[in-house]
Amino acid sequence: MSGGTERPLPRPMARPAPPRPVADTAPGPAGGSGTVHGGPGLPLDREKLLAGRLHAVKVRPYLAGALFALHVVEDRSVPTMAVDAHWRVYVSPGFVARTPVEELAGVWVHEVSHLLRDHHERGERYGREHEEYGPRERLRRNIAADFEINDDIYGDGLPMPTGVVLPSLLKLPDGLLMEEYLRTASMSGLTGNLTWLDCGSGADGQVRRWDRGAGGAHGLSRQQRDAVRFRVAEGIRGRPGNAPEGWRRWADEVFHPPQPWRRLLGAAIHSAASAPGVGENHSYRRPSRRSAGLRGVLLPSLRRMPPRVCVVIDTSGSVSDAELGSALLEVAAISRAVGGRRDLVSVISCDAAAGIAVPLCRAEGIELLGGGGTDLRSGFARALRSRPRPDVVVALTDGQTPWPAVAPPCRTVVGLFPRPAREAEGDPDYVPDTPPPWARTVTIG
Amino acid sequence: MTPSTLLPTHATAPGLSGSATAPTGTRLAVAGDLLNLLRATTTESRPDEQLEALTLAVSADLPVLLWGEPGIGKTAALTQLAGSLDLPLTTVIASVHEPTDFSGLPIVGDDPEVRGVPMAPPQWAVELVRAGRGLLFLDELSTATPAVQAALLRVVLERRVGALQLPSGVRIVAAANPSASAADGWELSPPLANRFVHLYWTHDREVVVRGLGGVWPRAELPSLAPERLPEAVAFARRAVCGFLEARPTLIHRLPSTETRRGGAWPSPRSWEAALTLLAFGTAASASREVLALLVRGTVGDGPGLELLAHLDRMDLPDPETLLADPPSAELPARGDLRQAALEAVVAAVGARPERPRWEAGWAVLVRALETGAPDLLVAPATALASLRRDDWEVPEAVERLVAVIGLARRADQSVHRVAVADGTVRTTPARR
Repeated sequence: MSGGTERPLPRPMARPAPPRPVADTAPGPAGGSGTVHGGPGLPLDREKLLAGRLHAVKVRPYLAGALFALHVVEDRSVPTMAVDAHWRVYVSPGFVARTPVEELAGVWVHEVSHLLRDHHERGERYGREHEEYGPRERLRRNIAADFEINDDIYGDGLPMPTGVVLPSLLKLPDGLLMEEYLRTASMSGLTGNLTWLDCGSGADGQVRRWDRGAGGAHGLSRQQRDAVRFRVAEGIRGRPGNAPEGWRRWADEVFHPPQPWRRLLGAAIHSAASAPGVGENHSYRRPSRRSAGLRGVLLPSLRRMPPRVCVVIDTSGSVSDAELGSALLEVAAISRAVGGRRDLVSVISCDAAAGIAVPLCRAEGIELLGGGGTDLRSGFARALRSRPRPDVVVALTDGQTPWPAVAPPCRTVVGLFPRPAREAEGDPDYVPDTPPPWARTVTIG
Repeated sequence: MTPSTLLPTHATAPGLSGSATAPTGTRLAVAGDLLNLLRATTTESRPDEQLEALTLAVSADLPVLLWGEPGIGKTAALTQLAGSLDLPLTTVIASVHEPTDFSGLPIVGDDPEVRGVPMAPPQWAVELVRAGRGLLFLDELSTATPAVQAALLRVVLERRVGALQLPSGVRIVAAANPSASAADGWELSPPLANRFVHLYWTHDREVVVRGLGGVWPRAELPSLAPERLPEAVAFARRAVCGFLEARPTLIHRLPSTETRRGGAWPSPRSWEAALTLLAFGTAASASREVLALLVRGTVGDGPGLELLAHLDRMDLPDPETLLADPPSAELPARGDLRQAALEAVVAAVGARPERPRWEAGWAVLVRALETGAPDLLVAPATALASLRRDDWEVPEAVERLVAVIGLARRADQSVHRVAVADGTVRTTPARR
């Protein structure tokens, strides 16, 4: 949101031009907009503010619980409207006076979206991970959070307020997450006239001077916040027809965010490779060195049996080189970390027929031959025929393939490149099977 | 055999300087003085939800699994817990042990075929059994080899070490690193995960900074109030049973996705644990935050949150009480809960529509208007108005809800203006 005159500048700006002047000719009642901070200005037009909330509830009924859970605090030092992490909404009386009811409705939904999408914690986490702090970062986070919200909440009964920031301002695509906008965009081109933008600590996690803090009255505790967010998400999931795509995605993921596939693939290979039988483990095959001192006691000893990992790669035309390259690098790095020496990782490229297993140490510029259709069964067969036999088979595929009928006699991890369902050319009866239940499947990308 | 690490419950207070024993002026004595100065820290009282949750779960004798990165203060928390429960602490670092240290060491005697091979327990287990009570902390589960982990789980779940059965006065807590950051892939199978209360241990930046500055937190640990026990059991039974009656599909739900493997999930076993924890939390007057940590760590995030939402609804005032005495009705302060309470009142009137009840319903709405935001009333008032029978006169109280009607009209006009601007509606609204 924009407005206000006395936000601290991150650095001297050549031409500070707020998108919406403060002392404007207010469309609302009562003469003038009053002073924005301090002093007895005009009183807060609570009825107008709440009419805006009611408008928002009428056009976005699934957000009603969250909107009603917000506690209104009148504060003259807030430029427009701002939220804190404890679900208080700070409102400037001047802003309410000069903003029409329908725009206020949009602002209500905008502010509650920051809270529902947990922007303050995500912002803090991003700041910690990337060691980025300071007023400039605050602004960047606020803009990125606004991008995430603004590209999908307006319209359909909710007019877009003036001065709202959109990803298209930076020629960025719609529909990304705040973190993705933060990573991809410098936003340096924007800051000139958006320095005033401030949605409060609820949007970026940095405490403002108007914040009442955790102890103050009417703040929601973490559990209460989670409960409100959870109820809203359940409401959307229960009646998915009413909510737009963005909100439905949010509701599906809010309490079970999809994990980065790298970590999942890593965990799957880790656990496959360190399961009983492979990896470092205790065994009675040779006596423990402790046994020498303990007559009559049988002790196991620690033996290292590094896993052999065989990667079967689907090189049919439907998988792009970039996808394969990134996944293959990941598998190699993970299996090395598990303790497999480089020569224990081998690669088989497979389309309709399987190539030979190439040890990874010789496969620097590995040539992934293939194209056309896929039959991973030949790849699995080839992997299991190789001697010594692998302990783990990792298949990287888009899943448009038949699978072996029986589980291979070793642990299997499937890295799946997701594809929308489509008909195979030339064979209308062809239905690709889903990965079988005996494999641990990780969706990549 | 590796000796176990036996820590004293309370670290002996460091007295100042070895100057009485060591000759003053030696380098080590000066170093000792410096160390003593560094160790002289104070504590301050500070609520700690993680520690409260841990205390309650340990009191309830449920196996706890602490998930947390190394060096995050799990051991320090356990030391404090042992002190408050007055239990001697035995820490066993799993990764430096062998499987036989937990499953018992097979000792070959003279005639194994006749006498069998006895499985000798390690010293720490013998000492625990002899003491009859204690807090056993199995640290670094995730860096132990799979064989050691398998042996340890038997200790946690069956309380057996070799041939020894640990006495009931022994409480057990295990700790593991999250699998994503673990050096090797420690992952619980769903049946094992279902037996644990999963608590995620995180550090509070503020606590660490203040602690390094010399002031560590001292948590006030919850204690059970003897007079509240029957009430606590009744509450927990009512909460869990009422909830599961409404949501029977949540009684048993295996984790389906890769992300949720190895975590908490709902089953009759874990619901029983949740019920136990609710009773303990109620008897100790624990906050909702603590209950949330425990319930979510037992039956999983989704079912746990739903149960907590159910508890919130149980807290709402009874609609019949509100209808009985509208002028002094106590409505929740939070808007969403207040609206839920008002909707319950309207639903109660609708269930048994009688004129006095209908009028009492309006009186409750007037009371709500006097004590809170008017926009919450629009939906309940509309619903209540639709319950009117032809021969019922509009009560005077409704006059006082004029502000609400004005607000609703203003919002309607605003919605209409937008619709006209968008081109979805052409006519202007019937203004008056």
